[in-house]
Amino acid sequence: MTFSWKRVNAIFMKDYKDFSRNFAVSIVIFLSPVLAAIYGRIGVTAIESHYMLINLTFAMVAAFVQSCLIAEEKEKNTLRGLMLSPASTTEILTGKSLLSLVLTLFTILLSMFLAEYKPANIAVVAIAILLSALFYIALGTLLGLFAKSVMEASVIVLPVMVIFSFGTFITSLAEQYPILKAATYLPNIQLLEIGIKVEAGAGFGDVWLQLAVIAAWVVVMFMLTAVVYRKRMVD
Amino acid sequence: MENIIEVKNLEKIFSNQKAIESVDFQVRRGEIFGFLGPSGSGKTTTIKILTGQLVPTGGEALVFGESVSKLKQPAYRKRFGVLTDNSGLYGRLSIYDNLKLYCDLYDVPYAKIGEVLAAVNLQEDEKKRISTLSKGMTQRVTLARALLHEPELLFLDEPTSALDPVNTLHIYEGLRALNKKGTTIFLTTHDMQEAETLCDRVAFLNKGRIQLLDAPGKLKKRFSDSTITVELKSEEKIILPAGAEGAQQLYDYMQANEVETIHSNEPTLGDIFVQVTGRKLA
Repeated sequence: MTFSWKRVNAIFMKDYKDFSRNFAVSIVIFLSPVLAAIYGRIGVTAIESHYMLINLTFAMVAAFVQSCLIAEEKEKNTLRGLMLSPASTTEILTGKSLLSLVLTLFTILLSMFLAEYKPANIAVVAIAILLSALFYIALGTLLGLFAKSVMEASVIVLPVMVIFSFGTFITSLAEQYPILKAATYLPNIQLLEIGIKVEAGAGFGDVWLQLAVIAAWVVVMFMLTAVVYRKRMVD
Repeated sequence: MENIIEVKNLEKIFSNQKAIESVDFQVRRGEIFGFLGPSGSGKTTTIKILTGQLVPTGGEALVFGESVSKLKQPAYRKRFGVLTDNSGLYGRLSIYDNLKLYCDLYDVPYAKIGEVLAAVNLQEDEKKRISTLSKGMTQRVTLARALLHEPELLFLDEPTSALDPVNTLHIYEGLRALNKKGTTIFLTTHDMQEAETLCDRVAFLNKGRIQLLDAPGKLKKRFSDSTITVELKSEEKIILPAGAEGAQQLYDYMQANEVETIHSNEPTLGDIFVQVTGRKLA
């Protein structure tokens, strides 16, 4: 069966209407812009601070919102309705991810504007942010598939917020404890490295390794999510 | 007649406990097939296997002539509909928006929404949010959703369990109309009256096995004790054999103008179920 944008759009529009009436979850999208406005007012310029805000948006909007959207579908038995419909796995997962992607990118753009962060190389940063967004959305989907309810998803996502929002702490800890060296390959640290390099004048050729690491995370997370989703299709 | 469902030696084991074992039956294309049994008898497990939501431990289940594992393919999912006890509706959205989503998923024109809402007597309520509806109304929306794409095969798990008598009759009319258009209906219910009213054939499931399978009328004849009850004007009730001997006695009572009512002593499906399984449907 061919991929149907009509089905993807139907799931996206349904999620948009549902999300706009779900104030308990939708309120989180305001956190980053509020912090960004404060940054802008007090004149924060450190690149680490800007990327902490961007990574916080990924954790709060991409991962948290996405995990709640998926967990609620499971909790209310609506995911079963989608799975039994003619929509394919790709159509359902794309449709279910589209709202989180749009919200994440919009929130990051707004936050960057309010915090007055202007990357030296917009193209590189845009691609890095898009790749990172895909990773966090896949991570959110995976967590949502494991959670039995929205409440459970809100708890499971907490370590994600801590680990991925505060990348600079992991970097400094890794200097003290070599065992944490592997953690520097996490996508949030790679994104921060790209941000720092770009400010020093780097182009695509200088950050391809960091982009490749993030892309590898995206591929692994997408595959893992697809496997778990297919397992969830049968009881 | 072509079989739309064929089940042979079907078995499902959950943690060393057999939910169903050696289940055999066929559902003919175009019939309304009743799957009757008490709670925990394996009805929902069977529906889940037949809709590809559960993998059987043993045996074979064919739907549309193909193994149920093929039902995971989107092309097959368009051919059947499912109504289960879990509503699966979006509470913050209106009835119309819920059905609109499924119109898009099944490629059905939006005009069909009004038609299915009329079939479940909800045409005036399309703007209401699902979260504000009563259990009965929610059940009707779920049924409307299952009817939307006029599937070849419709699985209904207790479709009228939360409905009042008026809406139940309305639903029966809708299901009969859909069946006349060619939809085969696989129905599970506790309600013996519902099974008698709607089903062409019924299967009694007990402790994971099918105990009996036939048309309700044939079962009632088979389990009838061939007697009639005559109630006299004196309020005395007399049971007469249905043969020649009984006919003579009945004739005598009628000649004497003593007869108030006459009833054939056919058992209900519920009576037959208890007789066959030793259990009540609950």
